[in-house]
Amino acid sequence: MFSDRVGHVAFSGRPSGNGGHTYVGGSSTYVSAGAPACRRDRETAGSTYPRGRGVRKDCAVLPRRRKSLPRGSSRRVPVPEGHDLLTRFTTTDPWVLAAGLPLVVVLLVLLVRQRHVTTVQRQRTLAAELGISMREEELAHLVDSRLPAEVDRAGGADVEVPAARHPQLRGTRFGDLCQALLVMAGTYETDAHKRSSDEAKETVRGMAAAVQSLAAEQQVAVSGMQDQHNDPAVLEGLLRIDHANSQLGRRAQALAVLCGAWPGTQRSAAELSDVVRGAVSRIRDYLRIEVRVELPVAVVDTHVEPVVLAVAELLDNAARSSQSGTLVRVHAELGHNGTSVIIDDAGVGMTAEQIARATRLLSGREPVDIRRLGNPPQTGFAVCGVLVGKYGFQVSVDGNSPYGGVRAVLFLPNALLVTAKADAQAPAGRTRATPTSRPDRVVPGTSAAANGTTPNGLPIRRRHRPVTASAPTPRAPSVPSAPRHEVRDEPRTAEETASAIRSWQRASATGMTDRPLAGNLGDQPTEDLRP
Amino acid sequence: MTPVPGGRALVRSHVVTGGRGTPSRNTLDHVTLITASREDVEGLEPETRRLVRLCLGGWLSVAEAAVHLGLPVSVTKVLVADLVDSGHVTATAPAAPAGAPSPQLLKDVLDGLRALL
Repeated sequence: MFSDRVGHVAFSGRPSGNGGHTYVGGSSTYVSAGAPACRRDRETAGSTYPRGRGVRKDCAVLPRRRKSLPRGSSRRVPVPEGHDLLTRFTTTDPWVLAAGLPLVVVLLVLLVRQRHVTTVQRQRTLAAELGISMREEELAHLVDSRLPAEVDRAGGADVEVPAARHPQLRGTRFGDLCQALLVMAGTYETDAHKRSSDEAKETVRGMAAAVQSLAAEQQVAVSGMQDQHNDPAVLEGLLRIDHANSQLGRRAQALAVLCGAWPGTQRSAAELSDVVRGAVSRIRDYLRIEVRVELPVAVVDTHVEPVVLAVAELLDNAARSSQSGTLVRVHAELGHNGTSVIIDDAGVGMTAEQIARATRLLSGREPVDIRRLGNPPQTGFAVCGVLVGKYGFQVSVDGNSPYGGVRAVLFLPNALLVTAKADAQAPAGRTRATPTSRPDRVVPGTSAAANGTTPNGLPIRRRHRPVTASAPTPRAPSVPSAPRHEVRDEPRTAEETASAIRSWQRASATGMTDRPLAGNLGDQPTEDLRP
Repeated sequence: MTPVPGGRALVRSHVVTGGRGTPSRNTLDHVTLITASREDVEGLEPETRRLVRLCLGGWLSVAEAAVHLGLPVSVTKVLVADLVDSGHVTATAPAAPAGAPSPQLLKDVLDGLRALL
């Protein structure tokens, strides 16, 4: 490149009117166009100065002819007729002078013009060299600083791409090419990043689903063992296994949610207190959580599992960021537009940067990159953010707890809530068995004699109250403006159950002897708590 | 397949019992009969509150109460023991084997049920 430039500069010194045009378009154009430009120079020179060439030829011949003459004989030797014009040039013939003067003038004009052209050419060369070095600097700046920053930025890093070093190149072909290169690199990196992230998410999602499935299977197995085994020591072991398994399931669920999957379990509508305590079930320090949620609201079926997972992540954060001797308190408050679950801890609190990061994540609008969650991974707010974005509730952690820590609030709009069903409760006005009325005494009083028997000897079952009257009255919603639909009642109410049991006991009593059952307890250690 | 009580329950047993597996008294059995002796349920956890309300006005065995609560029997025993301690529930022994209905009666009942169904 350097040698090309030198060669061209050497040629550009020739009398040429268009030599400078060759390096206007940039360094690459300049380098490649060097040789043709030289050719053009030579051709142009030949065509522009035809007379000059003739003059030079004549001048070149002239000394030779003059040398061939003897010194001092020029005036004495007669000039023959038709002598060569060159010979006459050497004489002092006025005609010769008259003819030579214009030539000299032309030569002078040409010389002046040549000097002008050379000056212009030199200036252009200088400008070109300046432009080249500027472009080289800009290119180096692009490669060293701007492209790496752009690639990082496209990859999700929070960096700023430096501006061009020579803004005067903006708008030139070179500047446009540099910008196009930068944009192309950024686009390529963004695409590659997204592709890679999607592939990683796909893989992790599959693995998380497998772990979730195993945890669910294990949960059912543990529940079965809890039901089958009566040994308290076995039960305590099973409770520990269940606790660990619940945490395992939550972790896998969180991972699946981060990778774009749904929480993986469909449940029926659940009371808010059960939702919160379900979340408590899934964290390590569950014994430090104090739940005071007694509102007659339930979460709709499609949102139970997402809300449980979000509350569990918030509770886990609260418990981990507070000392082991402190409590994490949870309560709920009804509002006009919805219900809030409020979690207060007495922990270390959060810095302004942490709150800003959490608020950004919890907005639900920021895409989550599972490769940037850190080690140990900080998944809590990220999971909540994904759930917020998908399921329409809100989470904020920018409040102060009255215990000095952080107050996290999960707000459930009315659209996600239904009225909770009433607890299984004995209907009002029902005659309640007194503690002194033992079953063996109550049952004979309403024995088969009064109720009658079937031809097969079975007592005829009779309800104490009609089924319709036994349905518990659902509590009135606290927010009348909220359109809530009722949760479906269970097939059997407590009243029906108790009635059925009494019928069964009556049936059993028909075959009993008249001996009082209380007297037949024998040596059984069952405690009688009658007053 | 018979569903497992509390198989995939939302609130797990370790939260219901506070991590305890041993009842505060060892006098409870599957067939121990319980009834509520107090109506006020303030301060109780949802499961124990449900249990007390379930037993208002009648007698239920521990096993039956467990089914209604959707909890394993062993877990229900822990709750019942707590409620007996707090005076919310009264427990009594079931009918002794000597006072149980005769096999013939049970057979009659079974035949009658079959005739009905």
